[in-house]
Amino acid sequence: MMQGLRRVALGLAFSFLILGLGLVYWQVWRAEALQNHPANRRLILLEDRVKRGGIFDRNGEILAQTQVTGGKKTRVYPKGEAFEPMVGYATLQHGSAGLEGALGDWLLGVKDATFTQQLQQVFNLPRQGNDAVLTIDARIQLAASAALKGKQGAAVAIDPRNGDVLALVSEPGFNPDGLDQNWKTISTQAGSPFRNHAFSLFPPGSTMKVVTSLALFRAGINTTELYDCEGSTIVRGQAIHEQNDKAHGWVNYNLALADSCNTYFATYAEKAGTDKFLAAAKAFGFGQSIPLELSVPQSSLTKTEALPAKLDATLLPASAFGQGEVMVSPFHMALIAAGIANQGVIMQPHVVERVLGEDGKPVYTSPVEPWLTAMSKDEAAKITSGMITAVNEGTASPGALPDAQVAAKTGSAEPGGDVPTHAWYIAFAPAEAPRIAVAVLVENGGTGGGAAAPIARQMIQSALSRK
Amino acid sequence: MGTKIILRLLIVAILWLGLGILKGVGKFNETLVAPAVLLTLIMVVGVVLEHLLHYQGDPFLLPTVQAIVTVGLVFLVRIRSDLAWRQFWWASLGLAVFYLLLWGIRDYRRLGRFQYLWGLAALILLVVTLIFGFASHGATSWIRVGPFTVEPEELVKVALLLFLASYLSEHEELLRVGTVQWGRLSLPDFRTLGPFLLMAAVSLGLLAAQKSLGTALVFYSLFVLLLYAVTNRLLYLGVAVPVFLATGWVGYLLFGHVQVRVAAWLNPWKDIAHGGYQIAQSLFAISGGGILGTGLGNGIGAFQVPEASTDFIFAVIAEELGFAGAMAVLCLFLIVVFRAFAVSMKTVDRFGQILTAGIGILIGTEALVILTGVTKLLPLTGLPLPWVSYGGSSMLVHFMLLGFLANVSHNSTVSTQLTSREREYAT
Repeated sequence: MMQGLRRVALGLAFSFLILGLGLVYWQVWRAEALQNHPANRRLILLEDRVKRGGIFDRNGEILAQTQVTGGKKTRVYPKGEAFEPMVGYATLQHGSAGLEGALGDWLLGVKDATFTQQLQQVFNLPRQGNDAVLTIDARIQLAASAALKGKQGAAVAIDPRNGDVLALVSEPGFNPDGLDQNWKTISTQAGSPFRNHAFSLFPPGSTMKVVTSLALFRAGINTTELYDCEGSTIVRGQAIHEQNDKAHGWVNYNLALADSCNTYFATYAEKAGTDKFLAAAKAFGFGQSIPLELSVPQSSLTKTEALPAKLDATLLPASAFGQGEVMVSPFHMALIAAGIANQGVIMQPHVVERVLGEDGKPVYTSPVEPWLTAMSKDEAAKITSGMITAVNEGTASPGALPDAQVAAKTGSAEPGGDVPTHAWYIAFAPAEAPRIAVAVLVENGGTGGGAAAPIARQMIQSALSRK
Repeated sequence: MGTKIILRLLIVAILWLGLGILKGVGKFNETLVAPAVLLTLIMVVGVVLEHLLHYQGDPFLLPTVQAIVTVGLVFLVRIRSDLAWRQFWWASLGLAVFYLLLWGIRDYRRLGRFQYLWGLAALILLVVTLIFGFASHGATSWIRVGPFTVEPEELVKVALLLFLASYLSEHEELLRVGTVQWGRLSLPDFRTLGPFLLMAAVSLGLLAAQKSLGTALVFYSLFVLLLYAVTNRLLYLGVAVPVFLATGWVGYLLFGHVQVRVAAWLNPWKDIAHGGYQIAQSLFAISGGGILGTGLGNGIGAFQVPEASTDFIFAVIAEELGFAGAMAVLCLFLIVVFRAFAVSMKTVDRFGQILTAGIGILIGTEALVILTGVTKLLPLTGLPLPWVSYGGSSMLVHFMLLGFLANVSHNSTVSTQLTSREREYAT
């Protein structure tokens, strides 16, 4: 009896040990990963005891703030709808989203908590979260939001030199005040206001041609060679049409980009081959996760794979001018413009400039570092030159400004079905020393030059009018 | 006497400190003062009585269990202060039952005489539950008796242990040596093993029919481990483990609710809103505790985890007391199990040995089954954590088991002292 019992005892002790190791696994090893799990409501529930930190734009304008009156906390959003869904919301009932959700642990002061914050946490004392200062410029954001009002789409502005996101607009927005009461109305509203359209995927249309350009350069295609555009052509058995079958006549690369000549890009992409096209798309960040405080979906070349190892050659002609199965988010399109503007280097984007502790001193500062080197300086200069021609004498002219040279590319993407095209416009300015790069998308808005260019122009004007 | 008093003072201090902290964060209900005072009084009167009546048994068993009960009560106040008063009453009543059994049973060996009566009682209780029981949380384990809902399978534990102890003590030799030669193995004949197998099969079958999987698993472990502990023959384990795995596999293929449980265990994150909800919330709470915990009354698990007051109470403890506190609770359980085994090894008579070893195994496996479920080491099978989870049946039955344990411990110490004294006179 003794010996058998001893063995059972040993077995039980061993099982308890495993149980203890299980606790170590969850409470130490996996603790942080689980705290950041989207279904974990811990941060929201901590709300009760914490005065959530404020969110400010780069000039100190208040975007979100918690006001305490008579012990009752209310979250107010003084700038309202224009900053939604970027700023997001945090309510006990509906959880959190946008920056309120993504920066939750900072705003509640639980990420890298200071010693005081930790003590207050242990003793359950009321405490103050950290403030977040964004790279957003409220003036550009408001200009873009006003210009896009009543339409559906997105407008993104980025400082190409350092990756600062200057504006991040998605229409329709929603009123973040009293959200719990209006939840049902907003969530059933047309255009899904809760969804950030800047982080949704759309066919890029002709804006894709700046990516295809890189493939042409890499394939050693002579950009001065003239091509006779007859309004339509056949590449690999597929009929390629110009918009309204308009013949552009003899065009070189510059004019082809300026006039947005589909047959030119389809024909030369076919010559460059799928491998060059895939390499160019990869260089611009297709099929790669985009590092940002908010989550951005990967842009993809095919329905099944974001960046396939081999591209079906029949997909290439349409992909070359952004149709086929190519899908890009407006945010990524702004990064692509910023990369061309910054001589080929795409800086890592960030929407948070710094996080301030209770004493006003920064506890976190966003690093300024390159994300991708998409192309060489020369290659960027060639695309820029084409984009300048597009503004001065091509399809992008509605975005021109009198006092600064804008470089831009339009797009009118067919979403499929008998609906108006999505209007795209990517641009940066001043072309010789760019300070702002933008991407504008008006869903089912018609042509890029007609619907999207005026919005981009107002954003650029707003950014360049100061300093 | 000194240690005894210090231990009890510590326990009373845990209770009132815990309640004090909960009052500080506004989670204490004034109506709980009276039951808490009553429990304190019973603990104090108990220790005085133990001294006056010369309790000679294991000195750590009761204090350890009282510490577990106290932690459980504090957390129940924190989780459901509206229900906690009942649990205080059950704990007080449980302590009274404990002392009653400790001093009320003159000779525990007489309990062993009603071998088949205990077996029959266990089966009748299970059948009655199956017929008159009502389902709650997927298992048909409750019956209504007047104003109370009783969980008879808790009482079955007592009957079953008494049956097993008397049966195994009677047939120990035959089970160990065997009478039938089968190749190189010598097996016990069917007349010896029959009642055991029948009892095991019928009780487990009835529990499975009630969908009470956790209890079935505990009973199976009890049957097998106790048989192994008594006979020390690996053969029994060698048969039991494959049988268990095969039964588990067949059960998985046949029953939808088993498949749901297993799916939730393998990947709770996949269906986090439904099947995986409980376990995911439990893990969120546990992981939120970190090493030192969020502090009492400070976690989210208490209102975020389903069944926080019963099956998942450990998740809340692990969250608010952290890894340190959770390990402390684990250690307390391990101490109880090991003291029970120590009592078993010191006891002279077979029946007492097997009964106390069985109690240790039962408590150990119960704690392991629910705690491995809560921490996702094994699929979750609902079961109360002894002395901690909310529920009167479980509380009373486990205090009964503790009463048997203390009685055997006390009597075996007294009798060994008597025999050694007699020997002294003889020389």
